[in-house]
Amino acid sequence: MPANCEQEITLTGDLHARPAGALAVAAGRFASVIRVTAGGRTVDAKSVLSVMGLGATSGQDITVSAAGPDAQEAVAALVAILSEATKVGG
Amino acid sequence: MTTASVGIVLVSHSAELAEGAAHLAAQVSGGTVTIVAAGGTDDGDLGTSAAKVERALRQADRGAGVVVLPDLGSAVLTVRAVLEDYGSAGSVLLTDAPFVEGAVAATVIAAAGGDLKAVATAAEEARHARKL
Repeated sequence: MPANCEQEITLTGDLHARPAGALAVAAGRFASVIRVTAGGRTVDAKSVLSVMGLGATSGQDITVSAAGPDAQEAVAALVAILSEATKVGG
Repeated sequence: MTTASVGIVLVSHSAELAEGAAHLAAQVSGGTVTIVAAGGTDDGDLGTSAAKVERALRQADRGAGVVVLPDLGSAVLTVRAVLEDYGSAGSVLLTDAPFVEGAVAATVIAAAGGDLKAVATAAEEARHARKL
């Protein structure tokens, strides 16, 4: 059943290459359309270069939104990655 | 995932550049994709090597095909020459992509389970990604 889901998280570290990669790899495994928004810009979560291009930094709010059959699972998984991966930077 | 991911071959005039780009792409994508560097000539100079490219293609192909990224135009000549005699050329896609960005974008899509066409498209679309 198609659904929409959205959740906001405050970054605890900068969204560098490795966390951006982890986010995009995880996003690519879901069927839903998934977007991340930071600093007023919204990009495709499955595009690692776009996610890195956001230049999102520690303390910034980032919103993950998804639309599709696995939207809820996708948002939960990506928020978990963002909260873990940005702790270590990279 | 039960199926193998698409392999990536990075063909550069410089062995260090190919190795460095492969290392970076592996780090960003989590290290699950086979990325093979084919840089420099057989005697270690700047240039490309048909023998290195052919070995890299065979090493990178885990059954889902291979996406090849050349660094500069003349590397394309070497890859094309190899593909003329390569047994399974149909499972290899040569892409027109920025080297570093394309390698990273393609590897991430391969790690997510993308097929040969999706991985090649990610490499080529990398030229449109803005850094600033």
